[in-house]
Amino acid sequence: MKLLTCPLNGPRNISEFTYGGEYHPMPDPRNTDSRQWAEYVFFHDNAAGIVTEWWCHTASSFWFLAQRNSITDEVIRTFEASELFQQRIDFTEPSAEQPS
Amino acid sequence: MTALTATHSNRRSPIYRRHSQLQAQFEQLADAIIVNHYADPTMEALLAAHLGLVDLSTLPRSGFKGAGAPDWATSQGVNLPDAPNRAIRQSDHSLVARLSQQELLILADINANSTLINSLNQQQLPAQTYSLPRADSHSWLTLTGSTAAEMLAKICAVDLRPQQFAQGQVAQTSVAKINAVVIRQDMGSTLCFHILSDIAATEFLWDCLLDAMAEYQGVAIGVAALRSLAAPE
Repeated sequence: MKLLTCPLNGPRNISEFTYGGEYHPMPDPRNTDSRQWAEYVFFHDNAAGIVTEWWCHTASSFWFLAQRNSITDEVIRTFEASELFQQRIDFTEPSAEQPS
Repeated sequence: MTALTATHSNRRSPIYRRHSQLQAQFEQLADAIIVNHYADPTMEALLAAHLGLVDLSTLPRSGFKGAGAPDWATSQGVNLPDAPNRAIRQSDHSLVARLSQQELLILADINANSTLINSLNQQQLPAQTYSLPRADSHSWLTLTGSTAAEMLAKICAVDLRPQQFAQGQVAQTSVAKINAVVIRQDMGSTLCFHILSDIAATEFLWDCLLDAMAEYQGVAIGVAALRSLAAPE
């Protein structure tokens, strides 16, 4: 069984985890057009090389990030989301923007 | 006095049909009924020290989560474990498990005398502190006995042997392919694991555990046998 190290629970069987997609920094929603926002939400780079991904330890519902080499499938490190997200993000009502 | 039946109380265990099939004798405990024993109580007390499975799903339990939850709980007199995946017995005999930095789970004691859950539920919650009721989302099965860890090795990948998995340690993992929170809290000197898992899968997990226990002559036991283990407290 392949193992993945959860930052909260330690090394666990890969069957306890769910893949959550690539991580990309969120663009500022106030200065982003619909195309850029759609790319952020829906599109993946699917890059060959070192990628940062969301993973969830399903038994504890704990979401964290993993740096993984998508060519060799080697996991370089896993870390808590709090390394990148220190502040709560509140979304303000968008102004009367026309969809592009 | 007429004997209590599995459907006597509105609050039932999700596996009350299994209890009826095993001809359980019930007792009233808090706002619900619970299995006192199935077979001979003296024999069950002996089996509990070897390998037994108790359904505590009708006992009170609750939880709180959020960035403000740890400080708030501490201000309410909760003795909070320092690190995640640890559990501490409280002065009222309830058990508080810290599932992550910002999430705690509270289990009543086996006599449902503890007052912590009720008193916390009556408080106004501060900002970024959220109530996380567990009584209707999670079943609560308790595995006791000297062979419990060896038996669990068949259906759980985490090493739960007593020398590896200390008293008060918590594992959030998969037991018989069901996501579960496993907490070691010995009763007296007997090895004991609380297993909390999705309430919708309780019958499956109960059957899996009894099936895995059969190899070790483990059986379902009532809360009376559990009390007999905890008696020296």
